[in-house]
Amino acid sequence: MSERERLANRDAAPSRPLDRRRGVAGWVDPRGRRLGGWAFILNRVTGIGIVVYLYLHLAVLSLLARGPEAWDAFIAVALSPLFLFFDVVLLAGLLIHGLNGIRVTLTGFGLVLDAQKALFVALMVLAAIVLLVGAIRLVEVA
Amino acid sequence: MDGPGLAGRPTTPAAGPGGGAGASERASGAPDHVPNELQPPPRVELPTWEPSGAGGPTRAWVAQAVTGIGLLALVTIHMIANHFVVPEGLRDFAAVVDYLSNPLIVAIEVTFLVLVTWHGLLRVRAILFDFGFSPATERRISRGLFVLGVATVAYGLWLTSVIVSYR
Repeated sequence: MSERERLANRDAAPSRPLDRRRGVAGWVDPRGRRLGGWAFILNRVTGIGIVVYLYLHLAVLSLLARGPEAWDAFIAVALSPLFLFFDVVLLAGLLIHGLNGIRVTLTGFGLVLDAQKALFVALMVLAAIVLLVGAIRLVEVA
Repeated sequence: MDGPGLAGRPTTPAAGPGGGAGASERASGAPDHVPNELQPPPRVELPTWEPSGAGGPTRAWVAQAVTGIGLLALVTIHMIANHFVVPEGLRDFAAVVDYLSNPLIVAIEVTFLVLVTWHGLLRVRAILFDFGFSPATERRISRGLFVLGVATVAYGLWLTSVIVSYR
């Protein structure tokens, strides 16, 4: 194994194999976890959150089928500070999952193996910047 | 990889009578195995960052990657069109009906729904499979998630048609 491949594997490999007996608890155990392990957990947690949100969102959109009164009444609630806070959390999840997904896809196809750690950090910095701009915009338009 | 080329590496230690390294090693009493320097390099696992993901990418993984790339564009369009450029952050009912009266918008939103459902439920499947169920249970999970995905898209299409009918 070349030095490049050794480094790539070291950085990419999860800290340890998933212990199926421990289930979800095994994901969040911080012991011995490297950056790759945290990125893996981050991707799963944000992914699960987005799937849950997808179905909540579709349920809320069913108000549209009940006509203008139901939907327009919901809008007033949706623009409350609590809902805006959840919007910012959603945006954070989308940015983290989407940008980290770029790295996962590239490395999964064998690309940028020896730079994935730096790529992860760079993408998360980008996520933080876009989140800040997006959060300000969400509050402005509301 | 590094080291001597592997193109001429014997595929079997005992290649039959005749010349070549194998024959000379046997003749001199050398062990009947491939020398270390001619062994294939250790397998390098592609780092999919999936603890259960030994080996190359599966079809499901590739599908997830491809849908994910599409979603990067579609989720950006969806967020900008539905939240960032709309006065007050959300369309009222009349504006929603007007927005969905454009067939191109409907096509984009339906594609978005299909891809996000596909992408999300594939990952749910992968996560569930990590718990080590039996093959029969895994097949039931796959079928159940497929039905859920189809139902989700059908619901989206129905909802869109209801909204557009208010035009």
